[in-house]
Amino acid sequence: MTKPVELPQGTLEMLILKAVSLGPLHGYGILMRIQQISGERLEILQGSFYTAIYRLERRGWINGEWGESENNRRARFYSLTAAGKRELKTETAKWIDMAAVVAGILNKKADEI
Amino acid sequence: MSLLAAMRKLWNSIAPRTHSDVEEEFRSTLDAYQEDLIRQGLPEEEAHRKARIDLGRPATQNETYRDAIGLRLFDELGGDIRYGLRALCRNPGFAAVAVLSLALGIAATTAMFSLIYAVLLHPFPYAGADRIMNPVMIDDRYPDEFSYFDLSKAQLDEVRIAAPVDSVLGFNGSHMEITGGGLPEDIYCAYLTENAGTFFGVRALLGRSIEPSDAENGGRSVAVLNYRFWQRHFSGDRHVIGQTLEMNHTPYTIVGVMPRSFAFNDIAGVGDVYLPFSLMRPVANGPSIAYLPWIKLRPHVSLAAANAALEPIVLEGKKQYPESSPDHRHLALQPIIVPYQQDLGRTLTLLLAGVVLLLIIGCANCSILMLARGRTRQHELAIRTAIGASRWRIVRQLLVEALVISCTGTVLGVAASYWLARLPLLLSPDSFPAESVIRINASILAFSVALALLCGILFGLAPALRLSRNDPARALPGRQAGVAAAPARHRWSVLITAQVALTLLLMATAGTAIRGFLRLTQMPLGYDPANVMQIGISLHVQNPAEWSRIQSREARAAYIEQIRQKIASVPRVSTVAVGIGATPPDADVQSSFIIDGTGDGEQPQARAVLVDQRYFAALRIPVLQGRIWNADENSRGDFIAVVNRAFAKRYLSSSHAVGRQLRIPGLTPHNRYQAVSAQSTTWRQIIGVVGDARNNGVDQLVVPAIYIPYTALIPAYAQFLVRTEGDPLTCLHSIRAAIASVASDQQISNSASAFNGTFTLSEAIERDAQYSRQRLFSILFGVFSAMALALALVGIFSVVAYSVAQRTTEFGVRLALGAPRAHVLWIAARIALVSAAAGIVIGLAFDSFLGAVLAHWMQNAFAAGSLFAAAALLAVSALIACLLPARQAVAVPPAEALRCE
Repeated sequence: MTKPVELPQGTLEMLILKAVSLGPLHGYGILMRIQQISGERLEILQGSFYTAIYRLERRGWINGEWGESENNRRARFYSLTAAGKRELKTETAKWIDMAAVVAGILNKKADEI
Repeated sequence: MSLLAAMRKLWNSIAPRTHSDVEEEFRSTLDAYQEDLIRQGLPEEEAHRKARIDLGRPATQNETYRDAIGLRLFDELGGDIRYGLRALCRNPGFAAVAVLSLALGIAATTAMFSLIYAVLLHPFPYAGADRIMNPVMIDDRYPDEFSYFDLSKAQLDEVRIAAPVDSVLGFNGSHMEITGGGLPEDIYCAYLTENAGTFFGVRALLGRSIEPSDAENGGRSVAVLNYRFWQRHFSGDRHVIGQTLEMNHTPYTIVGVMPRSFAFNDIAGVGDVYLPFSLMRPVANGPSIAYLPWIKLRPHVSLAAANAALEPIVLEGKKQYPESSPDHRHLALQPIIVPYQQDLGRTLTLLLAGVVLLLIIGCANCSILMLARGRTRQHELAIRTAIGASRWRIVRQLLVEALVISCTGTVLGVAASYWLARLPLLLSPDSFPAESVIRINASILAFSVALALLCGILFGLAPALRLSRNDPARALPGRQAGVAAAPARHRWSVLITAQVALTLLLMATAGTAIRGFLRLTQMPLGYDPANVMQIGISLHVQNPAEWSRIQSREARAAYIEQIRQKIASVPRVSTVAVGIGATPPDADVQSSFIIDGTGDGEQPQARAVLVDQRYFAALRIPVLQGRIWNADENSRGDFIAVVNRAFAKRYLSSSHAVGRQLRIPGLTPHNRYQAVSAQSTTWRQIIGVVGDARNNGVDQLVVPAIYIPYTALIPAYAQFLVRTEGDPLTCLHSIRAAIASVASDQQISNSASAFNGTFTLSEAIERDAQYSRQRLFSILFGVFSAMALALALVGIFSVVAYSVAQRTTEFGVRLALGAPRAHVLWIAARIALVSAAAGIVIGLAFDSFLGAVLAHWMQNAFAAGSLFAAAALLAVSALIACLLPARQAVAVPPAEALRCE
């Protein structure tokens, strides 16, 4: 198993949006999916997880509705709203852009500077 | 989507999720995680525990939720408010005193603000009232005096189309009598140009106001009623529209009633009835009709620009009076509020200062109470600090409690202010515009809310900062309550000192006002106003046939004398005199005169007062030298005069006044209605000297006056001064009937105007501007200072009471160890006594400094006597307020006090 990665601040919300964009999920499902996609490398700070969900819902980027879970439990399923879709798109673009710039700088060799 | 669904969606997007909803979701996640852990091989109990460690407990989830969506502040504030309310309910005595001290101040301040709002800021109901101008003519040589003027039809039309002008109202008025009923009744009719409805923009209460179509066919005979007239004459009958009102034998159809706030206008006379201007007829072949103008400017036009644009139009017409030397005159547009601001601004500012002081004293009281109570709460606050409350959190808690008090006080205060604001109007009705109606409105509510917040912060902040700065380590083990080291006491003493100083200031002001008023009431008037009434009559200028009968001086004098005799024959009437503008405490205009033996160059001034020979007896003005003229001399009118003592003293060597000659060149007719004797301006011999009767206002020195038989110059009106046995007003009805028996349509004036109304002379004194002002000041400041004194005493009392309660053990120990009771009493009351004494000293110093300023503002000398009387009263009451609760300290049996431990 590879080393766990710690999330920079503010990125958890982006990851939740991404997880939900693939289809409606309940809270625990979102947690599982993020861990699964990351190859179990992300340790999500459990306490802040729901805070992020509440905030996203309040802003109207995700929308929660009660439904049946896979093992016939009542659970709240979140899906991406139109506003959420736009947000995810711009945030993704911003993140990739920024990561590329940072990586580009960090990867320069001494003689290239 | 239906509206309902849309609203539900909107609500869902705004409203937070419910507690159970949040908890259920969290629980389901917790369960899923727990099952996963069990599947991974953990024992159930361990899984249960780990899930809660990782994700948190369901019970606190709702808090996390509300925190996440930003509701936490509200939740906490809600909690603070609930806690504050509970704390207040637990301490009803504290709460009641704090709330009441604030409510008093806020009630007074709000009342004064609503008065200022109603009187100075928004006294008029008219649309765009701030753009409505009253044009006046100012003589450059006397810039403080201004005169109103009228315009011709042509000028009015020119003004109407001038660039800066939005619209123009032309008006004029005349007295008419209501006919067709029982006794004739005199009313004042205001004629308004037919654009009045749109110019004022005031909706009629019933029916409509004057409108342009009323000008058709030379004016339709319609009438709009003033509210008060409608109440008085029609008893507020709502079916009055369409009825007929007969005035001067002409029927008018009533088409509307104006609301109560509409009372156009104070300056020219409030109309009982409003009529279309087209109905205005030239009075008894008089000159062309004159329009008094009110000009509404377009928005954003400067006064200077408007003055410049309108001056040529206005001055053009004035060239017809060459003697008025137009070179010296210029036009000034004066906002219609200006006359009131000049008269009332100072009065109201002073009163506002008084109530603000009261409010500050109230706030100081609340601060003192909170500080005093804070000592009993130190334990509680220390615990909160110990378990992690930040200082900000505690300050906030205490501030919220202060705001709960101030808001409760404000609610009570605003309710009370509704009545309080009417007090000045009741006390001094004539100094306020007739149209100002006091009501609670949005601006006043906004003012009160701002006031509540300000007060809450003002009196809450100092105690909050003080109390939140405490060290739990020291406070917690507390309760050992030995000799209490109480740093908070320092702050009390500052507050008490300030409070006492301010109270003294208010009391000294009240003392000065009351003294001034007493001086005014005790001042000898020089005449006896009791049981004397003025009755004004207007002679028939409206009716050409009757007017021609009394146009000659002799006929008119005979007519007046006939009425006088009829009034004198009424039972219980003892003396009836005739005067023309001669009713004290004011008397007629200044005139210049010439005394024998002096050159024509200097023209001394005196009041020329037109009266008959009975005037002096009716008013009980004593004859000091010589004699009064007799009936024959009275009907001739010429060659004689009587002067008052002030005249003799200033212009003649007093002993030789009788026999000297004087003449009054100005005693000539100024208009067509005045009938003048053959030689009114020739030399007159002084045949007598009478005592000084007030003739320049109640409070002013008597000015020199010359009394002349009224037949020398009779205008189209006259007044009778009627002395009766008992209340003169009860004779009014019989007098009316007596006058009607001379000429059935001779009405008497119903107005209360000093010029030609009907009123008693005692009323005239009460209406005197200075008199009513002084009375207003003395009553209001008396009330303010009584309130302030009560507040200051409550402050002192509660400080001593709290500190005694706190130090029961200490006093017990002291007494047990043999301290004399007087010493313990002194210790208990010391701080409050010393601060109160310091307050009195500071107050005295401050007052003598402020004395000069106040004397100027109150137009009354600031008396040292009343200051010391106030200080003594304050000192005695402060001593009592200290000693009453301090007695508790020595009343404690030592054994019991020690057992408390």
